Amino acid sequence: MSAVNIWEKMLNVDRRWIFLGIGIVSIVPFLIGFGMPITTTIEVEGIFNFMNELGPDDAIFIGFDFAPGTQAENMPMAVAVMRHAFHNHTSVFMTAYVPLGKGMAVSALDYVTNPKTEGFYERVLYEDWVDYREAGITNKEELTVAWESDGNALPEGAVGWVFEGRDYVLLGYLPLFHLVILGMTGSIETQFPVDYHGNPIGDMPILMEHKSLRDVDLAVTTSGSSACVAWITYAREKIGLPIAFGVTGVMATDYFPYIQSGQIVGQMGGLRGAAEYEVLLKENGITRTTDKAFTGMDVQSAAHIFIILLIVMGNIAFFAGGFHKQTKLKGRR
Amino acid sequence: MKRTVPLMIVMVGGILMMVQYFIPHQYSQVIFNNYLEWAPIVGAFALILGVGSLTRLHSHKIRRKAQNWQYSWAVLIPLFGMPFFALIVPQSLGGGSDVHGVHDFLFMHIQVPIQSTMFSLLAFYIASAAFRAFRAKSALATILLLAAVIVMLGQVPIGDVLGKWLPNTGLWILRYPNLAAKRAIMLGVGFGMLATNLKIIFGVERNWLGGAGK
Repeated sequence: MSAVNIWEKMLNVDRRWIFLGIGIVSIVPFLIGFGMPITTTIEVEGIFNFMNELGPDDAIFIGFDFAPGTQAENMPMAVAVMRHAFHNHTSVFMTAYVPLGKGMAVSALDYVTNPKTEGFYERVLYEDWVDYREAGITNKEELTVAWESDGNALPEGAVGWVFEGRDYVLLGYLPLFHLVILGMTGSIETQFPVDYHGNPIGDMPILMEHKSLRDVDLAVTTSGSSACVAWITYAREKIGLPIAFGVTGVMATDYFPYIQSGQIVGQMGGLRGAAEYEVLLKENGITRTTDKAFTGMDVQSAAHIFIILLIVMGNIAFFAGGFHKQTKLKGRR
Repeated sequence: MKRTVPLMIVMVGGILMMVQYFIPHQYSQVIFNNYLEWAPIVGAFALILGVGSLTRLHSHKIRRKAQNWQYSWAVLIPLFGMPFFALIVPQSLGGGSDVHGVHDFLFMHIQVPIQSTMFSLLAFYIASAAFRAFRAKSALATILLLAAVIVMLGQVPIGDVLGKWLPNTGLWILRYPNLAAKRAIMLGVGFGMLATNLKIIFGVERNWLGGAGK
């Protein structure tokens, strides 16, 4: 067998071996868990620092502007920001630019309030604290004190209460969402008269304090498409609402101009961005542990190394075999 | 008449919405609010048209037993099944408000895994494509390849382990050369959109009417 044939064979390797390799490097790091350290970047620190300045009188929007296809990257971002907001008692509005984003918002909330999640928040549904609302107790601290003095105790492992309609509201999806953003610059209630569960939002304490996007302090759009730009066009440019992006890795390069121009306070790019936010949460004592994005970075490290090895091997075979002098390969694949 | 009326509507509507954006007057706001109310209604008609057209197409395929007609059922059943469970039978079959309904079950256990799987397949195809197509055939291709390798390594924790210069160089590429190129592309696209919109508003570009501008 001549040397050229070896290189040609190498270039025409059955793609199923490559698929197998990717499969292995994607699964093994999950099982072993290297836990390599992650350094943070100013793009993610920008969002974290902005969020850290917010308190109980402030409110943010989390836009679940992605479908399940990109949830591996977008979901950890949304979860991390939601945890940060709940920790600071900052109110959270949840919306969806795409129809499937509504289900993503439900999943994120279920995850953050699931007793199986490390450092979960105990959720109190809107109808469960109606007596307190009728008694005029809507202040966050007073509500928590009154709630606990009535014999409600935090379950083991929970780090705090979150009251629906007070600490968060799930608004869901509406068609033509760019128009909904425009409409919310005037009034949130006119666009969403009821929340995801059908509760009238005009009666909710969160709405009484934050009637429109002008009363909101930040919108974090976690997006798997160019939907995130609508928040800039229709909210940032119209009323000056600060915006933060959480976008997939392949999209992250597209939005650096918005960071430099100051139109967004920061950007979480792909799983790396989410992992950086998790690291910042842990380093600042907001969460006890990192979460799924941090674990996923080991997989990404292994996959990137594997792909780079493939590129190097492909180039060695290409040049060593002299194929750069030919117009096309003889091989089938 | 069939062409003049739509052209007039587009021209008047387009100019009106352009002008109102820059006029912070209450009348301007009234026009804008009316537009906000009307646009979703018009959009709803488009939805009816879309669903009707899709249903007609696939039911026709099923009736004629056209090639791969079985897949048309895979379109039609979820198309009507999901709204049925979301709007007509929103309760869970087990009863109780705490248990998620059938729609949520189908969403979480069919739609979410299917979409995630489809997106995950990209990793396999990207790896295969990178092996076969990413060649340093020319100086420009070599620069592209080196930039890609540096950014890929800089984006993952192992890049930090291999050397601080890797993530730093990767970020420099993203923050400066990438940013400059992206901004140039965005400006070009922006001006192109502006020109196209003006051509549509003033009736120069009429392809959207059908008939390739005849």
